[in-house]
Amino acid sequence: MKRILLAAFAALAFGLSTFSSAFAETKGTVYYLVPTLLDEFQTGSVSALEMFLKQVGYEMKTLNADNKTDVQQSQMNDVIALKPAAIILAAVDFNALKPSIEAARAAGIPVSEFDRQITSTVSDFTSVAGTVEIGYVAADQAEKLLKAKNGEVKGKVLQVLGDPGDPYTLDIQKGFEEKMKAFPGVTIISLPAMQWEASNAGTIVSDQMLANPDIDLIFSHAAHLSVAAVASLEAAGKKPGDVMLMSSNGAPVGLDLIRKGWLNVEVEQPLYAQAAAIAMFMDKMVAKEEIKPGEYDVLGLKGVVTKEAWGPNIKIPGAAITKENVDNPAFWGNLKPPTATITSVK
Amino acid sequence: MTPRMRKLLEFTLDNLVWFMLVFVLAVFSALIPNYFQLGIFANIIEASSVLGVMSIGLALVIIAGHMDLSVESVAALSAMAVGILFCSAGIGLGIKLTPAWLAVPVSLALALAVGGLIGLFNGWLIVKVKMNAFIITLASYIWVRGIVLAVSGGRSAQDLAPAIRWFAIQRFIGLPLTAWIAILCFVLFSVIMAKTPFGRHLVMIGGNETATYRAGIRVTRYLILAFVLAGAIAGLSGWLLAIRTSGATANLGIGLLFNAFAAVVIGGVSLKGGVGALPGVYAGVLLLSAINTAINLMGLPAVYTQVIHGFLVLAAVLLDTFKTRLRQKLA
Repeated sequence: MKRILLAAFAALAFGLSTFSSAFAETKGTVYYLVPTLLDEFQTGSVSALEMFLKQVGYEMKTLNADNKTDVQQSQMNDVIALKPAAIILAAVDFNALKPSIEAARAAGIPVSEFDRQITSTVSDFTSVAGTVEIGYVAADQAEKLLKAKNGEVKGKVLQVLGDPGDPYTLDIQKGFEEKMKAFPGVTIISLPAMQWEASNAGTIVSDQMLANPDIDLIFSHAAHLSVAAVASLEAAGKKPGDVMLMSSNGAPVGLDLIRKGWLNVEVEQPLYAQAAAIAMFMDKMVAKEEIKPGEYDVLGLKGVVTKEAWGPNIKIPGAAITKENVDNPAFWGNLKPPTATITSVK
Repeated sequence: MTPRMRKLLEFTLDNLVWFMLVFVLAVFSALIPNYFQLGIFANIIEASSVLGVMSIGLALVIIAGHMDLSVESVAALSAMAVGILFCSAGIGLGIKLTPAWLAVPVSLALALAVGGLIGLFNGWLIVKVKMNAFIITLASYIWVRGIVLAVSGGRSAQDLAPAIRWFAIQRFIGLPLTAWIAILCFVLFSVIMAKTPFGRHLVMIGGNETATYRAGIRVTRYLILAFVLAGAIAGLSGWLLAIRTSGATANLGIGLLFNAFAAVVIGGVSLKGGVGALPGVYAGVLLLSAINTAINLMGLPAVYTQVIHGFLVLAAVLLDTFKTRLRQKLA
């Protein structure tokens, strides 16, 4: 028995040493603090960041906060103790994580914000499509759709938000409604799908189509909510094209709905480019070198780095996906990761 | 008090939640524009089908003096299993059976089996190993949702086979078949609970487990069966959920557990066990659905939904206490 135990320990020690030497070949470990994995965009971001960081020599580990702010705060504290090369944060709550970011930076660990911009404190780098800007792009598309249908920009829009406690959906709403204010002929009915749960969105659409049968356009803040909206419309006897639909985030299910003729527009968040930008600037962040403002080519998209009060910020605009361009492999919803490898910015 | 008066009072107390439902529907119809229409009432019944079915299983276990926190995650796993096999988009494998209608019994059997097995596992640990139902089912609530996430990888399955989706689209007397399935379940289990030895024994076990055991009733067997049924019924609600949303996402059904508990309590089921009837639970489910629809139509911020649900549960508990005291006075 003693020999077996000794052999087991020896094997374990050998395994661990091999494991450690494998790590030693990388430039370091980067922790990605993802807000949830119950969302296709977020799961997609894990694989994209992992792939791009590997291309520039980093190993990535992911911690899931299950959409709980306190869990993410604890994760930040734990990760700080591990002294990683850097932390990538997609914050559950845009403001609550401020002290944790400051603590990490005070400990000499660079922090990069992914997808969710935090403006209340300084970060080493921020890569966003801009949630408010997604609202703007959606408003531009709504303007076109309503004009094409009604001859001018007027009509009724049902806006299906995500969870009302999530700043992500509130920002999109802010951007969308801000731009739509220019059109007094447009009535917007905004209702939240609690916890981003699809059947809640389905119920909202069923009820509203009865109370307001003259709804011209349904704008859902995530593609999976549009799927439930379509299921409700279908159950109510509607056919593709009877009611215009639009959603945001560019998930695969949204693209499928465009192909089937149900969805008119999907406002994409450039997931691959957002992730690639973080990896491209990782060496600079780790070396604490200056990230210079200017235009950068990120996977063929134009990313603009600006110096903001919260640090260097790259903004890569979201694109509108329609029937005409839905098969473009650059859209992450087509699940074709870019074949070209990225290089670090010198 | 005359016997007739007493009978009337008891009838009112027994069906208080139904009276509350009628009152609420009347008030909403009078005050909220567009609320009073058949389509909205059909929506209320349709929207309550998933929650209603889930509440049946939960009520059985609570009446038997235990609880099952896993029903929400079990429904999500069943929905995901059906979604992965029978959806053609996303992570769906798009399995085609010949003839196409075979997908209905196969998917239903799969959902029931997934739920039933988890229920059996819960029941075995709670009844045979004598572990705490709260902890065991809380653990199941977590690990089953974890499996949903693991098998889906966070992605969704969409575009359910038309043969299965047919139940959401096809209507009978203005209601989709999914709503009829829920109504049938309530009728069936109400009869089982009221008219069969199984139902009566479950109520007895919830009232006093030791006395029931001493009366020669096989308590262990009935309790395990109650957990298996709760799991299988949760599986059925997951099947309905997948049909309703034409697929499954990793967060499907989140929040249903608390609504199911609210419906069960509002419906007059005592959390102490031994008291409650399923028609009352259905009224509780319809009441919640009627309020949700009212909030949707009024355009109130959704935060009010939870506030109203919370106060409603509180009101139901207060009413229940009032009912018990009044009954004691009548006795």
